[in-house]
Amino acid sequence: MSILSKLFTLLRGVATESGQKVVDANALTILDQEIRDTSTELNRAREELTKLMAQGKLAQQKMDARAGKIAEYGRYIEGALAKGDEALAREVAGRLAPLEAEQQTDQANLAQLERSIGTLKATIGKAETQLKGLRSQVDTVRATASVQRAQVAIAARSVGTGSKMGSALESLERIKQRQAETAARLEASEELQSQTGDADLERKLADAGLLQDGSSADTILARYKKPAQLDHQTVEVRQIEMPDRVPSNRS
Amino acid sequence: MPHDTRGLHALLASHHAGGDDVSIELIDSSDPVINLTMHAYGDTQVQVAASGGQIFISTILVPAEQVRDRDGFNDACMRINPINPLSNLGLTSIDGRDVYIVFGELSANASLDEVEEELQALAMNTIDAAQALKPYFD
Repeated sequence: MSILSKLFTLLRGVATESGQKVVDANALTILDQEIRDTSTELNRAREELTKLMAQGKLAQQKMDARAGKIAEYGRYIEGALAKGDEALAREVAGRLAPLEAEQQTDQANLAQLERSIGTLKATIGKAETQLKGLRSQVDTVRATASVQRAQVAIAARSVGTGSKMGSALESLERIKQRQAETAARLEASEELQSQTGDADLERKLADAGLLQDGSSADTILARYKKPAQLDHQTVEVRQIEMPDRVPSNRS
Repeated sequence: MPHDTRGLHALLASHHAGGDDVSIELIDSSDPVINLTMHAYGDTQVQVAASGGQIFISTILVPAEQVRDRDGFNDACMRINPINPLSNLGLTSIDGRDVYIVFGELSANASLDEVEEELQALAMNTIDAAQALKPYFD
């Protein structure tokens, strides 16, 4: 059973019962055991590797020495043949034959040994990766457990204030609330801005002598004196006063 | 040197000192945890803990008891997860209650900028997820 399956089984088993602590403790126990097992395996593999590499080195030394001997016999054979001493050459060749046979056997063995070393190195690499993965899984379980304890503490703290366990839903509501408030504030400030704009315009119009105070005594008196003309004038002033609101509904 | 929770708290606290976007507190116990209140994200509370080689960042999406149609919700979560950058949706048990969380993990060797990016992404993803999954909430 893989380590993740074990942890998952554990999580499922306990989730329906109670107590995250049990899960945390057991998960850590399982992980610690896995780490110990993998470490033991790794150490054994490393020892084995050392042994095989030592064997390989010894075999290589033995073969090197034998290669020297083979070369030496070769020179003797060449020398004997050069002198026409066929019998001597044959005697040396008789010594050389088993050496060459041994060398071939050892060569095959060494190749086999090197393959084993390669396999073992791969196994060690894999175990090291596994160990690293297990250690980071322990880190995850520990950190998750700490965070969950903190979340319990935070939830308990908010119980007194009557709110539920803080969730993204509440945050979402708060964001919407704030957006609505901001929108309202923006609207209010735009309104204020446009009022200020109107006041500015009115002041400019008054300065230019175009705006007449409709309620002043002079105006009232003038209205009684020349009603028709002044009516016309009032309309004109209104048009100047709100130029952007006029065309659509008054023309 | 990798961050531990206290060291990370000090870094984050000094980074956000004087600002009003994030409130930071250290929930201090044998295993301290940083609690951040992200004001720009509707006061989303994010918990951060460093352990060994990892920094774990988590926030509560919704307690399972507030979800109607758990099967449909689970399906929707699995579909949202692959398109959620930098953070994951998960189900965990807090104090005996099933709770959906949004979480992310970082190397403890991550820079402060990377931690900040992860925090912002987590808060944003959580709000996005809450918005997308709203039809399933009571």
